[in-house]
Amino acid sequence: MSNATATADSDAGVMTLANLANFPEGRKVFSCMQCGTCAATCPYGDEMGFPPRAIITMLEAGLIEEVFASPGLLNCVTCYACMAKCPRGIKLTEVLLPLVKEQVFTRLKEVPAELQKALENTMRYGNPMGESPRKRALWAKSSPVPVPVISEIKRPVDVLWFVECYPAYHPRGNDANRATAKLFKALGIDFAILGNEEKCAGECARLVGETGLFDMLTDSNVKLLRKYQFKRIVTGGAHAYDAFKRKYPAAGFDFEVHHSTPFFAQHLARIKPKLTKKLDYTVTYHDACALGRHNGFYDEPRALLAAIPGVKLVEMTHSGVNSICCGGGGGGMWLDTYYAAKGYERLSERRVKEALDTGANALAVSCPYEVSRFEDALKVVGGDKRMVVRDVVELLAEAMED
Amino acid sequence: MANIKATEQPRIGVYICHCGHNIAATIDVAAVAKFAEKLPGVALARDYKYMCSAPGQDLIQSDIEGHKLNRVVVASCSPLLHEHTFRNATEKGGINPFLFQMVNIREHNSWVHTDRAIATEKAKAQVQGAIRRVAGHSALETKRVPIHPDVLVVGGGIAGIHAAMTLANAGKKVYLVEREPSIGGHMAKFDKTFPTLDCAACILTPKMSSVGSHPNITLWSYSEVAKVDGFVGNYTVQVKRKPRYINEDLCTGCQECISSCVFKEPKFPDEFNERLGKRRPVYIPFAQATPQVVLIDPEVCLNFKRQKGPNGEPVVGDKCKKTCVEACGENKAIDFTQKEEIKEIQVGTVIVATGFKTFDATRVPYFGYGKYPNVYTSLEVERLVNASGPTGGHVVLRDGKEPKTIAIAHCIGSRDENTNRHCSRVCCMYSLKLAHLLKEHTGAEIYNFYIDMRTPGKGFEEFYQSVAAEGVHFVRGKIADVYPEAGGTGKLIVQAEDTLLGRVRKQPVDMVVLAVGLEPQADAQDVRRMFNMSCGSEGFFLERHPKLAPVSTFTDGVFIAGACQSPKDIPDTVAQAGAAAAEAMALIDKGHVEQEPNTAFIIEDECSGCKSCVPLCPYTAITFDEAKKKAVINEALCKGCGTCVASCPSGSIKQNLFEDGEIFAEIEGVLAQV
Repeated sequence: MSNATATADSDAGVMTLANLANFPEGRKVFSCMQCGTCAATCPYGDEMGFPPRAIITMLEAGLIEEVFASPGLLNCVTCYACMAKCPRGIKLTEVLLPLVKEQVFTRLKEVPAELQKALENTMRYGNPMGESPRKRALWAKSSPVPVPVISEIKRPVDVLWFVECYPAYHPRGNDANRATAKLFKALGIDFAILGNEEKCAGECARLVGETGLFDMLTDSNVKLLRKYQFKRIVTGGAHAYDAFKRKYPAAGFDFEVHHSTPFFAQHLARIKPKLTKKLDYTVTYHDACALGRHNGFYDEPRALLAAIPGVKLVEMTHSGVNSICCGGGGGGMWLDTYYAAKGYERLSERRVKEALDTGANALAVSCPYEVSRFEDALKVVGGDKRMVVRDVVELLAEAMED
Repeated sequence: MANIKATEQPRIGVYICHCGHNIAATIDVAAVAKFAEKLPGVALARDYKYMCSAPGQDLIQSDIEGHKLNRVVVASCSPLLHEHTFRNATEKGGINPFLFQMVNIREHNSWVHTDRAIATEKAKAQVQGAIRRVAGHSALETKRVPIHPDVLVVGGGIAGIHAAMTLANAGKKVYLVEREPSIGGHMAKFDKTFPTLDCAACILTPKMSSVGSHPNITLWSYSEVAKVDGFVGNYTVQVKRKPRYINEDLCTGCQECISSCVFKEPKFPDEFNERLGKRRPVYIPFAQATPQVVLIDPEVCLNFKRQKGPNGEPVVGDKCKKTCVEACGENKAIDFTQKEEIKEIQVGTVIVATGFKTFDATRVPYFGYGKYPNVYTSLEVERLVNASGPTGGHVVLRDGKEPKTIAIAHCIGSRDENTNRHCSRVCCMYSLKLAHLLKEHTGAEIYNFYIDMRTPGKGFEEFYQSVAAEGVHFVRGKIADVYPEAGGTGKLIVQAEDTLLGRVRKQPVDMVVLAVGLEPQADAQDVRRMFNMSCGSEGFFLERHPKLAPVSTFTDGVFIAGACQSPKDIPDTVAQAGAAAAEAMALIDKGHVEQEPNTAFIIEDECSGCKSCVPLCPYTAITFDEAKKKAVINEALCKGCGTCVASCPSGSIKQNLFEDGEIFAEIEGVLAQV
């Protein structure tokens, strides 16, 4: 095989494209029957050049270098749709695509500028926006509910709240944070945040093929978490949750971790009596890829929404396992310009069009990327007067009398 | 029979089989033979290419005579395959067949190991165990148990019908038990059959009526097997007959009750038409139903209370005018007081032909079944194209419009790790058939979305060719998404990659037909337990041997036929049903079964009369002699399971072929080298 895989040969325990057959999940790749389900369900199926099915054929034929040379995999937003539907149960998004993507990136003549900048920022500042790490906990000052920082209170807490970058810096993410704090308080949960010490969980770096950066962030965060005492971690970041649950354990992460939406759904019986304010919303819920397809949380957000007085739930054409990605995963968050230049439809726009078709006036989400992406997309398609975008926690907090 | 005396020194012949490369490639068979040769009591040891071959068997016979052997050990495959063969050879050589012991060095050794040295050592230990064991064997007699000549056939689809008819025509008495109100199964719902396109009803209904009128067949429809006791040749079976609220003997099938029902219009979903049509509370499933007897659905009949009885049973009310009873008149066939009835029968053999169910397409939400009205299952379309179906054979959508473009989605609930891994084997062919029929009925453009076309049966490939030549389109790619076309056109988009083009196709269609796969019946596990069968990983009943005993099960006297064993088409189903009938007949006509003499017996002097063994026996073979205060084992009923032997507190029950001395000698032999 090509030099693609030479780098990791020294470590026999690491799966590469050359030694796939040594691993059960790798062997499974070769059970592909070329049915095309992956391409047909891929939101950028027509633009991939080599959809997963074709990557496997090329690999079998010894032509994988041609795949590495094509930028097609930049269009993969790691939405797990191909993996969820693959009739052979091949772990495409988890096993095959990251290995290929890493090689595609090393051969790119030029990494799209916006993405390059985001990765550099993440490396330098611990967040893709390039904001100052010293301002990471600034939002907490505007929270009506006091938000303690664990290094300051110097005592063990029940819940360590991992805030993540978008919620920490984006104004709409800050809104969701304030709602989360309100919910914690309403439930009487003893919580604290990491404050300015927290760094990006790095899942998107991993999924664009920047495994080195991901490993660095993993080590840094695990080391940080080890400093403090807490019972469990709760995060509103769907991608952070996914990384903590599936990738961090390899770096010694052994904490109990929850995403805030299913976490609050566990406490629904205690939340429900507090939801006293009637909201006049017809809500359609967008299943976040990392939360739904990859971790099976389909019912929990809907149960929370259904508990809000006045809320009527409607479903989009594509929902649940068949949900369409917002386009923000796998680095897509910083590839909008690149996709636009290529003339692709923005997935967030495709998604909000479907949301608008339901007649709903609120689009509920549970991943921090989505609020800003969908609000922006609604403006572009001219739907921002007809529909608001709200994190599930925002709607819950809104339904609670102050 | 030349039995050895207890004082006689054992002269054991040991034979190590190569089984071609199956054993010899992993085990050094010559080394094992050489090792065995030196063990105490061994007169000779040989290795041979195929012990089961005629020369192999002759070797045993001639050695017994030539070398005065009085014990034989063969190390080869599973006793399930060849214990019988070698016992016969031993007997032909002139010694009692139970002075033989078999060692499985294939399934238990060469097939599961890769290290030749370790496998060879293991084989030596196995062989040594057998050599020590066989020295203690004593001569035993095989017993014969008579076979009850009657047969139970479970399931009245084409498999059960064919098996029952074959047996009945050969003069055997058959009980045919069918769960639904009529026999006919899935085949009765089909319009045409592939690849010849004969009308299913035309070829099936004559067989159905023959079953109904055959003097040797007792047909119990709307009935289920509730309990099975006994063993090969002597099964006692309880059959639950569900109340149909009609006396079958009095109903003439005139159907006056149906037309005079207080419901002027049929109102309730019709199960036979896949709920696409409607029926009344009193109904007959379809025109050719057998038996031609109506039934009443207490769930919707006005003469039953909506409130159920304490055990969930229907309670008769008195709200209805009972115009049906009036119409039945002097026949007096309607009986609202009918209760569930249990019938007990004796049979010697059983044929299980319980069939399949189709995949529930709502399990995979992205195919849109249950969400978009124009997505149908293949079985629904069978009814739509059928002249006696809910639309009289006019293919129209739920809104009454005729489809102009149709997509047929292959492999729904088949070849998919998220649902069923197996290929359902019939869907490619029935999809071709439906494509042909839909085109014939509507002239629509038809798109088959397939992964691989599988048409290996007789005349199948030719049929594929002719359907393709009719202009039916074939797109190589599995459908991954079905959703409404934008702009409210009413059409659905089916999305699949045309893998031959390398492009994603978004094909607008009026109708989607899901080629749903075949699955085990929902209660297959209950049926399996009832008849003491096994199931494969997909849940279909497991045959005794995939090639050489395809209709036998691991329970003697219980045979399987048709799609309950694995998905299959009508020709294969009928072939299996015939085979199962022949297997049953072979047992019946022999008149008896030889019983392994591995029965348990009581050492009377030692039995304390505690009775603890009596209730434990699964075959009710143990009784208590009140006069002697001792337990008594009926050898004819004992199946040699060993439960009583293990449970006896005083150790006063022993079992032939499994005496403590034999077992300990074997263990010591196996461990001798350790």
